Amino acid sequence: MLTLIINGQSRQVDAPEDMPLLWVLRDHLNLVGTKYGCGIAQCGVCTVHVGGKPVRSCQLAVGDVGTRAVVTIEGIGNTPNGAKVQQAWIEGAVPQCGYCQAGQIMSATALLDSNPHPDDSDIDAAMAGNLCRCGTYIRIRRAIKDAAVRSA
Amino acid sequence: MRKVIGVIGAGIFVVALGFAGWTLLGRDPMSFAGGSTVALQDYQGGAITGVPTELASADLVKRGEYLTHAADCQACHTAPNNAPFAGGFAFNMPFGTIYSTNITPDKQTGIGHYTDAQFLAVVHRGIRADGEKLYPAMPYTSYSSMTDEDALAIKAYLFTLAPVHAPAKQNQLSWPYNQRGLLALWDVVFNPDERFRPNTGQSKQWNRGAYLAESMGHCGECHTPRNLAYALDNHRKFSGALTAGWRAYNITADKNSGIGDWSDEDVYLYLSTGHANGHGGAAGPMGEAADDSLSYLLPDDVHALVTYLRSIPAQASDLPRTVTVPAPASYKEGPVATFDSRGEKIFAGACASCHDWTGVSQVNGYATLTGVRAVNDPSATNVAQTVINGVNRKTAEGKIFMPAFGEGYSDDDIATVANYVTARFGAKGAQLTGGDVANLRKQSAQQPKSQETPNG
Repeated sequence: MLTLIINGQSRQVDAPEDMPLLWVLRDHLNLVGTKYGCGIAQCGVCTVHVGGKPVRSCQLAVGDVGTRAVVTIEGIGNTPNGAKVQQAWIEGAVPQCGYCQAGQIMSATALLDSNPHPDDSDIDAAMAGNLCRCGTYIRIRRAIKDAAVRSA
Repeated sequence: MRKVIGVIGAGIFVVALGFAGWTLLGRDPMSFAGGSTVALQDYQGGAITGVPTELASADLVKRGEYLTHAADCQACHTAPNNAPFAGGFAFNMPFGTIYSTNITPDKQTGIGHYTDAQFLAVVHRGIRADGEKLYPAMPYTSYSSMTDEDALAIKAYLFTLAPVHAPAKQNQLSWPYNQRGLLALWDVVFNPDERFRPNTGQSKQWNRGAYLAESMGHCGECHTPRNLAYALDNHRKFSGALTAGWRAYNITADKNSGIGDWSDEDVYLYLSTGHANGHGGAAGPMGEAADDSLSYLLPDDVHALVTYLRSIPAQASDLPRTVTVPAPASYKEGPVATFDSRGEKIFAGACASCHDWTGVSQVNGYATLTGVRAVNDPSATNVAQTVINGVNRKTAEGKIFMPAFGEGYSDDDIATVANYVTARFGAKGAQLTGGDVANLRKQSAQQPKSQETPNG
């Protein structure tokens, strides 16, 4: 039995240690906001925060999470930057099909956590691993900048 | 006039003799240890060969299985995605391609018809059952020091495998390399054809390690540089070499370019699991050696290997000291200003999510780049190969996976990201070109690619 801290709550999970965190979130804990995309850490849709850092949950074995706190798209709105990013996302009507957007919001929030006022190249460096096949990149960039200037 | 010619002739003869002597001295992989050696049956220090005590009472096949792992027959005698031991693995050499052969007990295409004597001839002397010479891609110069008993235990194990019908692939070698007969001459100089001789000045553990490293695991076949005749040059024992498009690193005690700075525990972990935190994980051929061979060794044997490795004299090679400090958290900081921004862009999109801008992975220790020799190798050979081929290892800790980017990225892309990675996380940035990467692809043409959907 593994104990994980997910969105501020302690959760017990009966899963093999080498199971990717994404499987545990979706199949064991029914936290299905985090999506499965490529399965090889190349698209970013499964991004969650682990110990405050954006991590591709399809590649992180649950046994390697340790005591690091996990935050998913279900819990990100309870963090200051997460709330600002979600608000900016809504106002900017960023999503089109929406499949990648949970990952985009997680990466964008992690960016603002480490860099409150990112410029274009900062956004590129932080967001390049999050693909959007609808091409909402321009709205994503705008929304990140909106969130950065928003008062908490 | 005649006198002058005579003197010159004598001079040439002396030089040739000196060269031959020097070459022969480079033939014994254990000569560095000095001291005196005895025949195995005269050694009083205890059992050096065979299986560890835990397996002493196991049956012949079980012992043979352990020894087959120790000798790592499988890595070379298996082609990617093919039946184990059925051969067909390509060795891409500067002078052509040689294929490994089928060593399953199939009577037509394998070794099912080999007698014990024939099996010993092939293992010790590289002579096939039909009398033809093998190329020394088969490491018989190492295996020649294996005992008859151990070789025949391996045969007993191989003969329990399911026979696979797999005819040998035709080697593609240019003249004169396609003249197998010439290898008889090569053997006179380079194959001592002598069984393991324990060193009485060394501990039992050292001798066991020597037997495992030299007679079984044949570490030197990749880690020792070769001379002009393509034989191992033990004057530069274990100081590193390029094999199959991958660099086998310096594993001597040199603190900068070797493993002199590694703790015994780190060497032990690296050998037994193919990974040690702070030193990265094995990929490519060493990943196979870990997964197919070294990870099967019992702890006492791995400790023996560590003892032996630690005794190899330090040899400095061209590798700089490994940088063990993580890169800055921001992509804007760090020693990468002079590098092509394309490398940074590729890293941002394809690499940073696992390897992080610091090089210290959030995912697991295997993906940490900080402190890894490959990243601190200014030739970036293994970085480029890892990018091309990915990593797909099955370890006791689970699957170790990195996607193969070789199909999706151009040679130029791979060169530029390898240059970026070595500059940001290593001691010195590489200067690879697309042409270099194309060349590396050719040399490793048969490395198994990691699968696309490991979690699917």
